[in-house]
Amino acid sequence: MNINPLDISTPAAELNFSGKHVLIVDDYMEMRSIFRDILSSCGAEIKKIHMATNGNEAIALLKKVSFDIVLCDLILGSGKNGQQVLEEAKHQALVGPSCLWIMITAEKTMEAVTGAAEYQPDAYLLKPVTEASLRSRLVKIWAKKEAFAEIYKAMKQQDYSKAMNLCDQRLVADKAHAADLLRTKCDLLLVTGEYDRAKNILEEVLAERDLPWAKAALAKILLKKNDPDAARNLLEEVTESNPAYLEAQDLLAHTLQVMGDLEEAGAVLERAVKLSPNSVIRQKNLGQVSMKLGKMEDAERAFRKSVALGEYSVLRSADAYVGLAKACNANKNSEQALKVLGQLNKSFATDDVRVKALAVEGMIHQQNGNTGKAKQIADELGQSIGNDSIRPDSDGALEIARLLMIAGDKEKAIQLLQREIKNNPESTALLQNVAEIFEQAGMGEEGSRLIETSRQEAMLIMNRGVLLISKGQYEEAVSAMRDAYAAMPTNMRVLLNLAHVIITYMQKNGATSELIDEARQSLQTANELSSGEPRFIRLTAALNELIAAK
Amino acid sequence: MRGESSVKDIGKKHTNTASVPVVFNMANFLVSSVHDMKNSVSMLICGLDKVLTSAEAAKLSTHAELVQMNHEAKRINNRLIQLLTLYKLGQKMYPFDPQPVCLQDFLHTIVAQYAQLLKFRGIHLEVRVNPELYWYFDEDLISGVIGNALNNAMRYTHQRILISAAEYDDQLALRVEDDGDGYPLELLEGNGNVMQSVDFHGGSTGLGLYFSTMVARMHRNQGAQGDLSLENGGSLQGACFVLRLP
Repeated sequence: MNINPLDISTPAAELNFSGKHVLIVDDYMEMRSIFRDILSSCGAEIKKIHMATNGNEAIALLKKVSFDIVLCDLILGSGKNGQQVLEEAKHQALVGPSCLWIMITAEKTMEAVTGAAEYQPDAYLLKPVTEASLRSRLVKIWAKKEAFAEIYKAMKQQDYSKAMNLCDQRLVADKAHAADLLRTKCDLLLVTGEYDRAKNILEEVLAERDLPWAKAALAKILLKKNDPDAARNLLEEVTESNPAYLEAQDLLAHTLQVMGDLEEAGAVLERAVKLSPNSVIRQKNLGQVSMKLGKMEDAERAFRKSVALGEYSVLRSADAYVGLAKACNANKNSEQALKVLGQLNKSFATDDVRVKALAVEGMIHQQNGNTGKAKQIADELGQSIGNDSIRPDSDGALEIARLLMIAGDKEKAIQLLQREIKNNPESTALLQNVAEIFEQAGMGEEGSRLIETSRQEAMLIMNRGVLLISKGQYEEAVSAMRDAYAAMPTNMRVLLNLAHVIITYMQKNGATSELIDEARQSLQTANELSSGEPRFIRLTAALNELIAAK
Repeated sequence: MRGESSVKDIGKKHTNTASVPVVFNMANFLVSSVHDMKNSVSMLICGLDKVLTSAEAAKLSTHAELVQMNHEAKRINNRLIQLLTLYKLGQKMYPFDPQPVCLQDFLHTIVAQYAQLLKFRGIHLEVRVNPELYWYFDEDLISGVIGNALNNAMRYTHQRILISAAEYDDQLALRVEDDGDGYPLELLEGNGNVMQSVDFHGGSTGLGLYFSTMVARMHRNQGAQGDLSLENGGSLQGACFVLRLP
């Protein structure tokens, strides 16, 4: 087909701007007015074009108006940058999946891509942005948004089988989005835990073309299937030919950590951080690996960077502050360490974080010979953890146990550790950490025995309900899992098994509102502990079916 | 005015980058200057575009000069982008990103940037492509390559240019042909060794060809590699630039 270049002023598919709300974010007045002129000549109504000069103004406008299109410069004077504005907007659900977000950058750079995939814009547009380039990009993204609208809707409703069917339907005719559709379908299969089906698709894709994302996705499946060696080989291939594909670098570092090769994991993260230093999460990971390797100066640097980058980002984590405080203390700067903990308390004002920070503070005093202060804090913590309203996360509980073990009440420390083992009996990382705490307190052997009994006890109780179900004792199964839940309220498998036995019971004996609520509550708690578990998704689907049939 | 903003961009980048060496070497100066110039040129292009799209622009006595200036500014911008890209490729920090691309849309978008100038110079440009044709490549890089070829063709053509894309032997062939006098013999002989064609006195810096060759070779699939060839003849009996991608 031929194109006459002289009548190409109107693109094939038109974009209808009528009624659409547009936001322009740029710290330069000239740029804002240029974008406004371009958009208005594309057909946007001037009175529906809003402008912001910095991140805070942008967030304030995003809270007030539901925008259809956002053009945002990546580098905005002081405060948040464009990426952080997008992260916050998505995190707080200020923009829906139908909003079209375009990031404007001076050049194609990896630093533009700072973090998690869910916080990516729809497109990066390089300066200079001309009317022709903006228009053709908008038309293309619009078409893609429309193609994926139904799929995203089904995903949002957690109806994954419907989302997959929609992918299949579109794949038949939509050549333009074939690659994205296949990629989405693979992601969905990973979410629902259908690893073999995802693997087949990826192998078919890779037989045609070497695609980095497909190799990385295949590596993810190999990891799930407990084959880290194969995952590592695949990821090394990807990072060798595409050194700038940072997601693959992160995954490789994770794989190496799983394999226990911390040295190499640290080296990979160092390289990735050199290429793209502005990721809150990657810097935190590097800090943690460096700390485990005993490279305290590297750890301090990485944690400091993570904390600084996180200042305006929703991706900031309390762990980076905790890591920084520990690293500072290890580097003989306890004053600085305590200051960091003070900042942590200011930035995250929750009880969970407060007790965790307090435990680390106690440990710092202990290590610096201020045993009186350490003891005082240990006693305070020993009191407050008995209080059920404060439930630190697993990491926090370990910090508290570590302090109690050395400076406070050993009995209480052991109780706390037993509870953590029972809540996470299948996490090797946690069991290792617990063993280490016993080791440090000179209770290595006693600790190993305690860990093993607690773990076995937990496994037994966890599976009792499922066993009873398989014998057809439905009522007994439900009651056994309720007991297990009372004893281990944050045990992932207990929560899922409780939902499982209730759902199976209802499938047999009919659904009631109380049982539906109980199952749903249990599933929600499980999802809060660790979102996106394949079993959570399958059980939610089964529960939804029961509700629909009721 | 833009000077400030450029300084802002650079300064921001450096304060955020712990890995930037304290001792500045020449390469750092060159890279940050290129970055700085690119920002200014971007601003210039946006300004000129704004003037040129206004209703009164066509009536200006200087309209022809403005169109030409805009074109030159875009040429500078493309060159600067290529320099930055080559630097990043050398540092292994270019985010190489092959994606499936609809060739018709792709060529459409490139040509649209030149529509005004083509019309102005009375050049007839034809694009031949199957609307169903898709291929995997890094869109930004390949559009730089085709932009170079098109600029060259516009400079040497008598009146006709043909751009085509087709699949042949499991490869994508992108051709830019013109009806000019063809490439000089030295250039054709230098095929495969692009740096031989650098001739500062004759005005060819070789950058465009070097960039295009690098980009072609970066595209690999299942053991095959992209390549570039320059020929004379073709369907318009002039210069013929051929990029093949696996």
